[in-house]
Amino acid sequence: MTPHLSIPVLETQRLRLRTPMAADFDAYAAFRASDRAATLGGPYPRHIAFSQLCATIGHWQMRGYGRWLVADKETDAALGIVGLYHPEDWPEPELAWSVFGPAEGKGIAYEAALAARAYAYDTLGWSTLMSVIATDNTRSIALARKLGAAYEKDFDHAELGALQIWRHPAKAEAV
Amino acid sequence: MGHRDIPILETRRLVLRAPEPQDYPDFKATFASYRSRFMGGPLNAYEAWMLYAAEIGHWEIRGFGMWMVHLRDTDETVGMAGGWYPAKWPEREIAWIIWPDRGGQGFALEATHRVRTHLYASGWDTAVSYIDPKNLDSIRLAERLGCTKDANAPTIDGSDAVYRHPAPPALQGTQLAHGIDMEIAHYTDPLFKPKGWAID
Repeated sequence: MTPHLSIPVLETQRLRLRTPMAADFDAYAAFRASDRAATLGGPYPRHIAFSQLCATIGHWQMRGYGRWLVADKETDAALGIVGLYHPEDWPEPELAWSVFGPAEGKGIAYEAALAARAYAYDTLGWSTLMSVIATDNTRSIALARKLGAAYEKDFDHAELGALQIWRHPAKAEAV
Repeated sequence: MGHRDIPILETRRLVLRAPEPQDYPDFKATFASYRSRFMGGPLNAYEAWMLYAAEIGHWEIRGFGMWMVHLRDTDETVGMAGGWYPAKWPEREIAWIIWPDRGGQGFALEATHRVRTHLYASGWDTAVSYIDPKNLDSIRLAERLGCTKDANAPTIDGSDAVYRHPAPPALQGTQLAHGIDMEIAHYTDPLFKPKGWAID
């Protein structure tokens, strides 16, 4: 037998960051099909979302880190996808976040992003971290600011169009 | 959490293992090539990486997936074979791809036959392969594996043909099963071994 994935679990006050599972697919597909996915290259049909959810898991195997499914600590309901993301043509790994529609506006992305950033700095020992955000994604840019990140430069992606790189504070200055 | 063991399958010439990050360049090369035209390709680097990561994640979501096919002697990869069931598929598929420079040596037959035996042993009672009608090499392989075209089965999107694999009992001690074994045996150890140059 080949040893396969072992994805760590992180817990915050309200959230559990865990492995994405088949049971999360409906919530994930609904988000990827919504207008909210427009700034992420979407909206995406359900079959593409399936492949993307699979790839979120496979990313852990490819890189040794990845994005978690953000679940409600009490109910285990799927609320979003947050973590460390580095597909092939990204300049470096990023801290990425998405919160599914029904869970918006409750500070969930902020709470999960802080946990993921702390994991990158404290557990993985990274010294820097950025986030890639579509130029017109004002909500994500607001969250980047709240996390203490600052605009660094533009990043034009062949598939996803005009993006920006926002640089997070280094470990010592991070929340 | 999130831990699943992927079995290692062996044949006379091949070892089938979980897809690993170090195998990605071989996958990427094939999916960047014309070889992948019947499998949604050619893909750019972003698409190929995502598909490869999805092939790995499929194991976690579905509990089965595509194995990486290695040569037993050198550990080099020659392709992939396994079970495949993304969201748009009407039913579970047995799928295969062989790298373009590794074709013609019976690797797809040997790997896919092994995979099918494993999937049937693990509880599958039927399987299909969705094949582009222009993909004559794959249609021929499906037929060598005993598949027949299933005109009544739903297709993925109308542009593919459905080949139905023989049910498990049809592969137990039957003429079909012996024929597949004979063909694989001939690839692994040809009965006709000319010394020197063939006359014709």
